Amino acid sequence: MNRLAYFIATALFLTVPIFTASCGGTVTRDPNVLATTLPANPPTLNPIMAADETSSEVDGYIYESLLKLNNRTLEREPQLAKDYDVSPDHLIYTFRLRRGVRWHDGTPFTADDVVYTFEQIRNPKVDAANLRNYFKDVKRIEKVDDFTVKFVYARPYFKALEIISGAPIISKHAFDNGEDFNSHPVGLRPVGTGPYRFVEWKTGRHIILSRNDDYWGPKPAITGISFKIVPDGTVRFELLKKGAIDMDSMRAIQWVRQTQGTSFTDNFTKHKYFVPNYSYIGWNMRGPYFNDVRVRRAMTMLVNRDAILREILLGEGEVVATSFYKFGDQCDRSIEPLPYDPVKARRLLEDAGWADTDGDGILDKDGLKFSFTLIIAAGSPLQRSMALMLHEDLAKAGIEMEIRQLEWATMIKLLFERKFDAAIMAWAMPLQQDPYQVWHSSQVDEGSNFLGFADARADRLMEDARQEFNKSKRNKLYREFQQIVHEEQPCTFLFQMPSLVAVAKRFEHVIDYRLGLDVLEWKIGPWPKLIEW
Amino acid sequence: MFTYIAKRLLLMIPTILGIAVITFAVVHLAPGDPASLKAQSASEALSSDRMTREIVEGTRALYGLDKPLHVQFAVWLKRIVTLDFGTSYRDHRPVIDKIGDALPITLTLNILTILIIYIVSIPVGAYTALKPKGFVDRASAILFMALYSLPSFWVAMMLIALLCSGDYLNWFPIVGFVSDGASILPWYGWVSNVAWHLVIPIACLTYGGFAFLSRFTRASMLEVIRQDYIRTARAKGLPEWRVAVRHGLRNALIPLLTLMGTLLPALLGGSVIIEQIFSIPGMGRLGFESVLARDYPVIMAIATISAALTLVSILITDIMYAVVDPRITFGKR
Amino acid sequence: MERGSLNPSSQKYSALIWRQFKKSRLAVICLVFVAILAAVAVAAPFIANDRPVLMRYNGSWSMPVLKMPVALRGVDLYELMSNPPAGTWMLMPPIKYSPGSYDLSSVLAAPSLQHPFGTDGDGRDVAAQLVWGSRVSLSVGVVAVGIAVAIGVLLGLIAGFYGGWIDIAVSRFIEVMICFPTFFLILAVLAFVGPSIYNIMIVIGVTGWTGVARLVRGECLKLRRREFVMAAAASGARDRRVMLRHILPNSMAPVLVSASFGIAGAILVEASLSFLGFGVPPSQPSWGSMLSQAQQFMDIAWWLTLIPGSAIFFTITAYNLVGEALRDAIDPNLRT
Repeated sequence: MNRLAYFIATALFLTVPIFTASCGGTVTRDPNVLATTLPANPPTLNPIMAADETSSEVDGYIYESLLKLNNRTLEREPQLAKDYDVSPDHLIYTFRLRRGVRWHDGTPFTADDVVYTFEQIRNPKVDAANLRNYFKDVKRIEKVDDFTVKFVYARPYFKALEIISGAPIISKHAFDNGEDFNSHPVGLRPVGTGPYRFVEWKTGRHIILSRNDDYWGPKPAITGISFKIVPDGTVRFELLKKGAIDMDSMRAIQWVRQTQGTSFTDNFTKHKYFVPNYSYIGWNMRGPYFNDVRVRRAMTMLVNRDAILREILLGEGEVVATSFYKFGDQCDRSIEPLPYDPVKARRLLEDAGWADTDGDGILDKDGLKFSFTLIIAAGSPLQRSMALMLHEDLAKAGIEMEIRQLEWATMIKLLFERKFDAAIMAWAMPLQQDPYQVWHSSQVDEGSNFLGFADARADRLMEDARQEFNKSKRNKLYREFQQIVHEEQPCTFLFQMPSLVAVAKRFEHVIDYRLGLDVLEWKIGPWPKLIEW
Repeated sequence: MFTYIAKRLLLMIPTILGIAVITFAVVHLAPGDPASLKAQSASEALSSDRMTREIVEGTRALYGLDKPLHVQFAVWLKRIVTLDFGTSYRDHRPVIDKIGDALPITLTLNILTILIIYIVSIPVGAYTALKPKGFVDRASAILFMALYSLPSFWVAMMLIALLCSGDYLNWFPIVGFVSDGASILPWYGWVSNVAWHLVIPIACLTYGGFAFLSRFTRASMLEVIRQDYIRTARAKGLPEWRVAVRHGLRNALIPLLTLMGTLLPALLGGSVIIEQIFSIPGMGRLGFESVLARDYPVIMAIATISAALTLVSILITDIMYAVVDPRITFGKR
Repeated sequence: MERGSLNPSSQKYSALIWRQFKKSRLAVICLVFVAILAAVAVAAPFIANDRPVLMRYNGSWSMPVLKMPVALRGVDLYELMSNPPAGTWMLMPPIKYSPGSYDLSSVLAAPSLQHPFGTDGDGRDVAAQLVWGSRVSLSVGVVAVGIAVAIGVLLGLIAGFYGGWIDIAVSRFIEVMICFPTFFLILAVLAFVGPSIYNIMIVIGVTGWTGVARLVRGECLKLRRREFVMAAAASGARDRRVMLRHILPNSMAPVLVSASFGIAGAILVEASLSFLGFGVPPSQPSWGSMLSQAQQFMDIAWWLTLIPGSAIFFTITAYNLVGEALRDAIDPNLRT
């Protein structure tokens, strides 16, 4: 008897939601709102403290900087600054600010906000060490009048304008009320000048923005943006397919093979663009294995990058040979990646003195077995695939390689302590790259030069380039630098990966620019009823 | 009885202290610290130019990570006594707020899960004990065991693919526990919206539990049924169902009570994967993200709060044990 | 009769158990299955390998599976196989692939004669991975539960038998361990020590004993009030003897049931850890990590999900049925 009752109760539990959801339990979704995802809950929305892609993604709609990048020309053009001057010695930058701009709370935007922003960035008590690092050479920041700000640099640097004009400007009156800056509530409820204003942030669930109807510039057609926070990549893809979100990025195999059906192509358009990035397998040049250039070249020749690109990435991407953006003007595209050639690689290893003298199947040299550990980040299927292939190919060449899949925190720690033999990494970079922090010998012990690459000629080229304001001259220096890196092979460069994005068809005027899509200029076409899942 | 409860409450203090010490030790021995993590992004792409030793040292000084361990521990212990768990390293929000957001969600999930497991398993277990080797016994054993043998993340992925994606059936949501904007619905609409979201996650959390509990009920019921007092009850001529429920089941439930106390932490931990897959911002997901981010205050607060909850539930179980089974005595013999 | 079974002398007792166990045909089948699995795990290198088990080359015999002979180093075996020179003979294992050997020209190939269980996203043979993966799953399950049961039985017996301060101390320790959210603790510890197979075994074992300890303690509390234990104690038997001969066998039933479920649980925990990226190193194939890799290809490669899933399913079911039959065999109440 009881069993029957329980059975009925259970059955009810299962059917009730289906039943009620179909008549009254669901919410309709506003077609004028763009729904997309974030892969993690942002740690903060304070744009100065944000060291995280999720924060910058959201803050990009709320906050503005002095200048912005033009989608087509990729040149800087006015945003909060109306125009600017640079002194002939490239030390003084004067910005004249736009008048009539209001913060989302209605107060006017002035030079005080700009000065306050940079004071906070440079304040050692503020949790913005990464951003502050760029402003080490700034001598002072002056408010000339209510709408003019002057920056004085201690020494010229070709990226100075980009750095100053790219920093998000925060509101002085919102933050400066005596509360601690790092834990300030405005960090969780941002107040900006941008085209969208903050509405709601449910931790770990979503962030909602709505259009700023008092925006000083042209108002976007999309009335709101909702970011759903979904950590799992496969789930994000499922959400897209079921129509719960309007836009998301995909992996190559999803892009090529898993979005072929009409249920997908009827509802989405696909977009591809190349945000500057590159991945590499870095060889720690300090250790006993990779201090010889012949070994490093042999390693590169054991990685079949073309086949991986063709079969695993299904051709979506580019093999790169240098650290510079493959489609930018800094890159020396004449450098050919070293070919896949296991036979030659074995010969190189032999030349370097590695041979199997004790007959255990593993190469050795001076009593040291060629047995090292490769560290990769957990959660990246591509890195895992490549590591496993390398494991197999190196074993055939007589090299033992252990793979350690580490969560990000541990991996970073090992990189900083230089306690690794080899690592697969991916870097995102700005359009105009300064290789100084990653490749200069001064960064070997303390900075981001994890691999321990030190070359006097390369050092000089990078130092000169930093103070060279003539683009073509500077790029010539960088080309020479790239040749040196290529010769030395401190790492095996892998791929420039594309961003592969699907956008719901109701959005029109979606243009693929080199660096991405511009949501602000999208229009909205007609569409039937949408459900909020 | 009151002295017993008072004694148990006092005994909770060393336990909590032990937990605090072990958690603190485990967490602080781990490599990777929030200072170096802060210097870069959460995703796999590093932002170049962004990392220097200086950043790391600066952040470490800011967070007080440069102080000796025992000082950090003393400070933290002083804080939990005053229920102040500090602020998260990651977003500077008060830890207690973050847990306050996450805990009700996980508790809802877990209480529903435990309830369903018990509601299904106990009658099935009792019934199969009364008719061992019968059809229901064999069928339920096979079915529950099959369910128990399936990894929950795999089932979750299958259910998502079959019931929640655009490929086959598109019936259920796969993210969160309530739709955005559902607050405009009337209360019954809101409840049904939540229920709609929780069907699949709860299904994934419950199915594995049936096997263990129903077999357990069956085993202890079988044991009880062979006892003398059941024979006596039967001999008295009581109807069979009355013997089974009043004399058999009541006594067979005693070992099940001990289990209930241990079920809570298992579920708090077990839901890490389900919460992660379904993007449910509960304790499991908060804990996992905090481990990844080395967010010490959050990790330690989760451990402490889970421990407190578990201790309370164990206490309640033990007291119920005393109430249900008069044969167990407390205090000195 | 009942009295006798409650005071079992060891040899008669195990023979009795075996007699009881054999009565269930399904349980025997499962036991055979478990034994075959163990054999497969031990013999994995001879079952799935891209090197010959036995070969004759240049006039000498060798077993390349165990050690590649110097003469063959740098020789392309595939080349040799397809075009063997005179005097060369080789015996390949039943599955001609290593779990790691990849073939980018057959990525995500559906099951066929060449690859009976298909290939994965990098063109690795699924069958080979399955055979090698059994090593990880089985050893994690058995060793972890072994550790857990050993600790749990010991502490549970001591606490339940002696009572008093010892019970209080052990119970505090059990409570401290129980209060840790287990999975959370496993994650945190693995993050610290690094996820190797031994660490996973130890961590699962060391965090998993509390259930057994509580069960044993509970049984012990119950049993020591029963007359046969009191009688044994009254007749001057030593504590250890009372615990091991009288209490332990009688509290073994729930422990064995819990241990058999525990093996299944440990295999599931291992799979879950792999899913979260905390599993065994990627170069070591495990069923759990196979499943977690499969999820990204759910809609285009069903075999990747189905095959390791079934392997886990059948293994766990076998362990459970064996454990259950064992439980019934031990249980004096069910004896006929």
